Amino acid sequence: MFRVTGAAIAFAFFLPLLFGLVGSVIPAFGLVPSIAEGNGFVQLFDDPRFLPSIWLSLKTGITATVIALIITIATLVCVHGTRLWRFLIACLPPLLAVPHAALAVGLIFLIAPSGWLVRLISPELTGWTRPPTDWVVPDSGGWSLILGLVIKETPFLLLTAAAQLSTLKVDAALRIGRTLGYAPARCWSRLILPRLYPRMRLTLLIVLAFNLSVVDVAILLGPGNPPTFSVFLLSLVNDPGSRAIASAGALVLAAGVALVYCAMFALEKLIAHIAGKRRENGHRGQAMKSLRTAGQSLVASVQVISIAALVMLLLWSFARRWRFPNTFPTEWTPDHWTGRAAEFASPLLTTLGIALMTLLLALASAIAWLECERRGAMPRLDWLWYIPLLIPQVTLLFGWQAVALFIGADGQWLTVVYSHWVYALPYVVLLLAVAWRELDPNWNHAASVLGAGYWRTLFRVRIPLLIKPVSQAAAVALAVSVAQYLPTLLLGAGRHQTLAIELVTSFSGVDRRIIATLATMQSLLPLLAFCIALWLPRMIQRQTA
Amino acid sequence: MNNLTVESLQLTLPDGTVLCRDLSFSIEPGDVLALMGPSGSGKSTILSWITGTIDPRIKASGDVWLGETRLTDIPAEKRRLGLMLQQDYLFPHMSVGQNLKFGLRGGTTAAREQRVQESLREASLQGMADRHPETLSGGQRARVSLLRTLLSGPKALLLDEPFSRLDVNLREQIRTFTWTQAQHLPTLLVTHDVADIPLQAKRIDLAQFEPGRPQPEATLLKPKQT
Repeated sequence: MFRVTGAAIAFAFFLPLLFGLVGSVIPAFGLVPSIAEGNGFVQLFDDPRFLPSIWLSLKTGITATVIALIITIATLVCVHGTRLWRFLIACLPPLLAVPHAALAVGLIFLIAPSGWLVRLISPELTGWTRPPTDWVVPDSGGWSLILGLVIKETPFLLLTAAAQLSTLKVDAALRIGRTLGYAPARCWSRLILPRLYPRMRLTLLIVLAFNLSVVDVAILLGPGNPPTFSVFLLSLVNDPGSRAIASAGALVLAAGVALVYCAMFALEKLIAHIAGKRRENGHRGQAMKSLRTAGQSLVASVQVISIAALVMLLLWSFARRWRFPNTFPTEWTPDHWTGRAAEFASPLLTTLGIALMTLLLALASAIAWLECERRGAMPRLDWLWYIPLLIPQVTLLFGWQAVALFIGADGQWLTVVYSHWVYALPYVVLLLAVAWRELDPNWNHAASVLGAGYWRTLFRVRIPLLIKPVSQAAAVALAVSVAQYLPTLLLGAGRHQTLAIELVTSFSGVDRRIIATLATMQSLLPLLAFCIALWLPRMIQRQTA
Repeated sequence: MNNLTVESLQLTLPDGTVLCRDLSFSIEPGDVLALMGPSGSGKSTILSWITGTIDPRIKASGDVWLGETRLTDIPAEKRRLGLMLQQDYLFPHMSVGQNLKFGLRGGTTAAREQRVQESLREASLQGMADRHPETLSGGQRARVSLLRTLLSGPKALLLDEPFSRLDVNLREQIRTFTWTQAQHLPTLLVTHDVADIPLQAKRIDLAQFEPGRPQPEATLLKPKQT
């Protein structure tokens, strides 16, 4: 039974990858003219929008990833071991839970010419009584997009790094390094980063793939002409005459991402070679207080921008009148929440329905998989779970959508849930895996000796003992589902109006206050899930104590 | 060489627990002072404070001196205090030779290489420079760890239960090696095993320590004139 269950989960998980490949390759080469005509690659390379948009994607994706990595390293070097560190780590999960699109909207409310930062200093310092016209958000250079990606991806990298520090015995290494005379930054660069980086590499690749191919954030924060390559492809995919070019573009994007991975590996080798040589020279370095302060300020800025962006959403969602250059609304109202409750109920319920089903399926299949693994029915596939996260969503979903169209499964609720499940399952499995594998097998033995069968042991002993990671994994599954834009859009065929879809599609044409309310609602769902995930294990513990 | 001196040390944990109060001692070059006490009595925390790597949440007052140099406000990396912990902490991404070179200060590439080879020979570890630390035995690792500390040119040595993880058979060998290598340095040894302490060493037992009362075998000091 375990072998069959494990094989079914693996098959269901990897099937969309096959769909993605087949569904992209066939239209891209025009192999089935009824789906797409002509060679998509020839059409793509002839399109004048191709080079500018792919250049923009590379520029924004790589720059955002590099900056996020630099801030992560600066935070480790400058903040680890200080009082700020614990506070910072505690702040990260809620920030991670906020969907990308909602944070992007909050960021626009913050940095736009009519945004809060300008209002804060106007008119006293600037003399502006109207929003300045010197810049626009999104800007044509893609810097707003880069900022949005940096503030969203830095917490992800930082949390991954922080989770590894205890296994690397960082405190002891720093003590030894410093008593040997090395400045703290040198201790990090010579003793810790060479061992930490390999453990962060996979997360970094996921961030890189995401930044190079993101769609929803790029629609909100990226330039419009040319747009990023993924947004350009999205504009083509639903036009039957452009299917070939869109599919070819999806494959080119995947190849581009793979090339960037290769470049990253080559750069890694080069840096490791140089660092290896320098490690032996015995130069101790100097502790530089100013650099330490700069590093601390940098990470504090990222945190402050993130929190301020969320505060903006909340303020706008309750604002009746908020004219420029007022720092705060002059009139408040709950009408955007109460007066439009019926209007918001539909996307909210659709989002919740899909998210809860995704959560249940992801949790059940992750537990089933880990049980198969524990009983030796399936091997460990840790690396393979990352595959959908390493392939650009555009590439996977264009092909999947083509197959879904072909077999008539597009637009169905279960197809949308399936797509969300594929993106939620890796996080759930990887979050649960450590605790699941480390739970003392003697608990099972003790239950068996007392006469409990397999299912009773699983539900009455194993899962209650692991309720904390199970709750956290459930919250992450919900957060991942709530944030999904492209899978819902492409596989839902526009029939499932979730909060993410409403937010992105109505952003440019709807009142700022309504958008803020939608974005706040979208942010509150995962935050609520994380609160429950924190509260539930404590409540169960209290009841049993 | 200079005395390592601690004056009026008081350590208070974030929950208000006082780990030690008014602790003072001085160690002369070549002497060993053993700081004893049960688990949780604050031995290792005292060592962390002396090296300047104490958890910032722990409140500390008092002074530490190396000869006439007040170390209290000097960063850990400038104190020139050698530290050995319970585990050897040989860096796993470096070979034995690279670990030793990491400790070594200054010199040309050739001179550094020569110094490493000499040290390995003195410790009967010749030919092991290119070996990975994980391929060494416990005793060999302990010796490499001590060599790395000594190559950094410390002016005092702080040992935090360095023998406790070794096999009983190895302990005596490594103790002898350590006391021979450290014979010109003031050495502070933290341990809960009486067998680790050299016969001539002075001792402070934190379990019996009472503030303000002279310890029978510890040197108590008058405050230093600054």
